Amino acid sequence: MKLLLVEDQIELASSIQNYFQEDGSICEYASTFQSASEKLHLYQYDILVLDIMLPDGNGLSILETVKKNQPEIGVIIVSAKNALDDELKGLDLGADDYLPKPFHLAELNARTKAVFRRRLQKGQNLLIFHEIQLNLETHEASVEGEILDLTKKEFELLHYFFVNQKRLLTKQAIAEHLWGDYMDTADSFDFVYQHIKNLRKKIASAGGNDYLKTVYGVGYKMNDI
Amino acid sequence: MNLIIRVTILFVLVSLIVFLVGGVISFRIMMREVNSEQQHFLNERLNRVIGMIERRKPLDTIKMNKLMIVPLNKTKEETTSFSDTLVMHTQLQRIEPHLKLEAIRNVSGRSYFISLYDVIIEPDDIKDGLVESLVTMYLILLGAVMVIGFISSYFILKPFNSTLLAIRKFSLTEPDQEVNFPKSGIKEFKRLNLFLEEMTAKVRSDYQSLKEFSENASHELQTPIAIIQGKLDVLLDAGKLNEGQITQISSAQSTLQRLKNLSTSLSILTKIENKEFDKISSLNLSSTISEMLEEFRELIDLKSIVLTKDIEEDIIIEMDEVLCGLLLTNLLNNAVRHNWETGKINISLKGELLEVSNSGTDLNVQPGELFQRFKKSNQSSSSLGLGLAIVKKICDLYSFKLEYLQKEEQHTIKISFRN
Repeated sequence: MKLLLVEDQIELASSIQNYFQEDGSICEYASTFQSASEKLHLYQYDILVLDIMLPDGNGLSILETVKKNQPEIGVIIVSAKNALDDELKGLDLGADDYLPKPFHLAELNARTKAVFRRRLQKGQNLLIFHEIQLNLETHEASVEGEILDLTKKEFELLHYFFVNQKRLLTKQAIAEHLWGDYMDTADSFDFVYQHIKNLRKKIASAGGNDYLKTVYGVGYKMNDI
Repeated sequence: MNLIIRVTILFVLVSLIVFLVGGVISFRIMMREVNSEQQHFLNERLNRVIGMIERRKPLDTIKMNKLMIVPLNKTKEETTSFSDTLVMHTQLQRIEPHLKLEAIRNVSGRSYFISLYDVIIEPDDIKDGLVESLVTMYLILLGAVMVIGFISSYFILKPFNSTLLAIRKFSLTEPDQEVNFPKSGIKEFKRLNLFLEEMTAKVRSDYQSLKEFSENASHELQTPIAIIQGKLDVLLDAGKLNEGQITQISSAQSTLQRLKNLSTSLSILTKIENKEFDKISSLNLSSTISEMLEEFRELIDLKSIVLTKDIEEDIIIEMDEVLCGLLLTNLLNNAVRHNWETGKINISLKGELLEVSNSGTDLNVQPGELFQRFKKSNQSSSSLGLGLAIVKKICDLYSFKLEYLQKEEQHTIKISFRN
């Protein structure tokens, strides 16, 4: 996966870059409207992660150009403006997703993977991790062919682990992914714990291995055994 | 009490005192004048009596009307003295105070004692006349003051009343609204209006900059938070950390999450204040609530809360869709968060009245105070204390009636959508 990150905050950009490079993605970085336009003109990218507040121009016009010239690129807008108007405008102009700042890198990773899968791996609706399979079309998970009876949230949780393999997902990141703004952190720990417990139980009863590893009580990681 | 009535009463009291004192003074002055006239009169009569004595040279005491002449055996020094005396008035047939002149005069080498008395005007008559005229004048003054006071006060206080009206119409949250204070020729009102104009302008600009500050602050916070969160995520993901370090980072992240929620909530409040949510449409509140409850079902189940609902079908309200979502989210979130394990939530929607009640511990604060920002029943709780402030802001925006009732361990929030 080859990404272009357009973000004027160098500090944030370097974290994102770092995170994506961990699992072998190529993440290039432009901090201005100017350099972003140049890079888009010169190179090919799969995904564009676009901050719409740029010092020398509005990211939305980059989006327009991209949609016109390179419609195959998936675009995720990130914005500190938290403004619904921009979100709607961005999605109207053809952005694939919108993520308000601040966000967990795991969340950005999940959204990027989702866009990548939808756009560039067309029809690729099966995610496989050892004996566990996720069908994103039917929203079903199975262990060696046996379909698990998962709730919607449990499926989402498992999916989140699938796209963030071998990464530590904190309880906060999981809670935010599953419930958005509905919950505050104190409650979320119990809820996340409950869901993980149920998920493990269901996978185990279908004969699957427990790949969900608890990390020091702060979060979970899906690892090979 | 009306200002004019108060001023009138004060004026009437002061003028009463002035009239009383003035009456006494007038009486005294008049009496003095009358006295001196009487003395004059008696002196003239004395001269005439002396003339008579010169002509007649009486040897015996003469007693006539109001006159007595006594020839003295010895020659004495001439004296004159006035005194008051009481004499039966011949016409009035009653005792009246008279002025009496007693004098010794040497006429043609012989001393005579002469006593004269008379009265021109009785003091009683003066007093009566004075009292009558003063009372009449006082009554005329009273009537005039009242009539003129009330009529002129209407005209004089007209600019003042218009100023009051302008202040009442003044709204802090509508910066485009003009505040017009009427022109007035009266110095005090001019000063009042000038002062009010300056004050309203100052209040507005202060409010505006405060609003801009909270708006900018919540915006500007997002980027640093995003950077910190990114750094922490990278650190956590590096995988070379021991348990203590990971726990530290995780706890930093939870705190950061609170900061994030805080700035989001503040920015929502600011946006509601700025009327940025203005796409009013007809919403089916009944189905919106049901959808929202589905979203919350899991949270409710995880806490083993018993949900009962009584929702009337197809209740339509007019409001912004985003705000409606925010309102319901905050209400339900509140009902779940401040509930017990195996507690209860009851939701009822009837007509235009929505009631969300939940079990929960006693409040430490007045129920109404919970609608203030950062006000929480338990100050140590991890909630931000902004949820109900948002609910209140939304209700205020649409003039929905909002109430918080607590009965023992049952908390109820009532919203009446009739505005």
